[in-house]
Amino acid sequence: MTTPAITVRDLRRDYRRPRTSLRRPGPVVEALKGVSFDVERGERFGIVGESGCGKSTLMRLLAGLDQPTSGEVQVEGQTVSGLPERRLGFLRSSLQLVFQDPMGSLDPRMRVRDIIAEPLVAQGLPGRQGRVSELLEAVGLSREAGERFPHQFSGGQRQRISIARALAPKPSILLADEPVSALDVSVRAQVLNLITDLVGDLGLTLVFVSHDLSVVRHVCERVAVMCAGEIVETGPTQQIFDDPQHPYTQRLLRAAPSMRRALAGAGAADLLGDPS
Amino acid sequence: MSAVAAQTSSRSNGPQRVLDVVGLDVRIGRHHLLHDVSFSIDRGERVGLIGESGSGKSLTSLALLGLLPDDADVSGSIRLAGVGCDLVGARERDLAGVRGRDVAMVFQEPMTALNPTMRVGDQVAETITVHAGRRGRDGHDGRGGREGRGGTDRRRARRRAVELLDQVGLPDPGDAAKAYPHQLSGGQRQRVVLAIALANDPALLVCDEPTTALDVTVQARVLDLIVRGVEARDAALLFITHDLSVVATVCERVLVMYGGRVVEAGTVDEVFRRPRHRYTQGLLAASDLDDAPPGGRLPTIRGTVPAAGAFPEGCVFRSRCDHATEVCATTPAWTGPDPGEGFACHHPAHEERAS
Repeated sequence: MTTPAITVRDLRRDYRRPRTSLRRPGPVVEALKGVSFDVERGERFGIVGESGCGKSTLMRLLAGLDQPTSGEVQVEGQTVSGLPERRLGFLRSSLQLVFQDPMGSLDPRMRVRDIIAEPLVAQGLPGRQGRVSELLEAVGLSREAGERFPHQFSGGQRQRISIARALAPKPSILLADEPVSALDVSVRAQVLNLITDLVGDLGLTLVFVSHDLSVVRHVCERVAVMCAGEIVETGPTQQIFDDPQHPYTQRLLRAAPSMRRALAGAGAADLLGDPS
Repeated sequence: MSAVAAQTSSRSNGPQRVLDVVGLDVRIGRHHLLHDVSFSIDRGERVGLIGESGSGKSLTSLALLGLLPDDADVSGSIRLAGVGCDLVGARERDLAGVRGRDVAMVFQEPMTALNPTMRVGDQVAETITVHAGRRGRDGHDGRGGREGRGGTDRRRARRRAVELLDQVGLPDPGDAAKAYPHQLSGGQRQRVVLAIALANDPALLVCDEPTTALDVTVQARVLDLIVRGVEARDAALLFITHDLSVVATVCERVLVMYGGRVVEAGTVDEVFRRPRHRYTQGLLAASDLDDAPPGGRLPTIRGTVPAAGAFPEGCVFRSRCDHATEVCATTPAWTGPDPGEGFACHHPAHEERAS
């Protein structure tokens, strides 16, 4: 049996709120309360949940940007949790991130070609110029785009730049945190197509985090539903959507407005309450 | 239900008409941002305004509240039931009396719509006292009511504020009224904004992306409250969003905007089942993730929405349309019985159904 791309075992992360009294320490917030799952190589794995459910904390731990309180994260068989940054070099080349807000994650003072080449510079990888042109083409931008600055691009194009940068060091795992949430509908479809194409062509493992159930349903083969720091339900996407078992999943699915249900006569009140 | 709504809306200038926008044109600087926007909303009717960012939806809503920047060059007319003057070209004094009383708005970001230094109950009450003071609705004249009888008025407004906060489903409305905005969650803040908007029972409620920043389950509650709030008051609703399925859930009629023009309008059923304009068709196809094969390719609209002022002449959509021909360089005429039903496209979809 091959090792999974990502293994997470009983992952916990507590944060301490700032103290409000001189006598007592600040209250503890359990952002993750013992999360375990595996992501197989080449799998498209979705994580859905609402704000505050711990999905961003989980992403930070997977990317080695934060340390868990307890539990373990392994990426391609190597332990990530507990390692200092200088020993995470393997992780930086095998796992890359795409964030929600491209403007917040692209340095406005850098030219696009330097932004895309930055992971290569950081890891001392050779052949930058050729690789940058190759990446620009792969994400559907012209070679001239490399000479421009992020503010000269639209939201969708900026997200393409983020994707090109993430792919620069030839990672095997791509973590995408709400990558299309800030985009317009017509552009969202373009970027989703780009992500699914690249993941398929390059044989990447994709971890896709979103609050938008329909997007996760479209992109992912398997999905985990998070609520209050725990995974409440996990399984093949189709099964979760067709036959949700956990009450929270049921509530989440019912609350998402759907064109099909609306045209069949469902109103705002039908987003709430009992399915009966 | 929607057939009835369509019938009433086609009766022009009936006693039910709440909002009438005719030929609204807005220019700011050298940019022509809104072109000949016309639509109307009746009492108790819920109308959606959809389009991507940069299509002119928010500008339209700002025009309805008389909140366009001073340097905007506005022509056309906006008439609101119960308001004597045309909102286009009205004086700020008059507009201030209309805003929050006859027409009210819920914005996308509740944190910026609320005053961070004021208790939320006082903010709801303020909306009531400001207008009670401006034009005495209960008989006593405005100024006196504000200064002389301020104490009792204010107390009454506070009680009413707590009632309103209860109506929008805030738990413990009495305590919630004493909270500051930062002490509430995003969904609770949006409910406060809704309570403020509904405080004076406006004839028209404008919601500009009211749930875009909220979680799905919270969005569901807020959408339900908005619909119940306008239904209880028999008010008209203009609901602006980029989310087509939200519009389909909340509204009866829909207007599709692109490049500062209304390109298609009609009942939700008609427009979403049988779109005629190629932009509407593209938008529906691109957003329909339920029907696309999982992991497969989604239909897209090529390119991106141009920047303001960079839309092509003639049909605004032709630079991204796969059906565009030479004739599209001329502005397509409106095809349909009235501004509330029809489309503006030279090569409409479902040609066979047209006759």
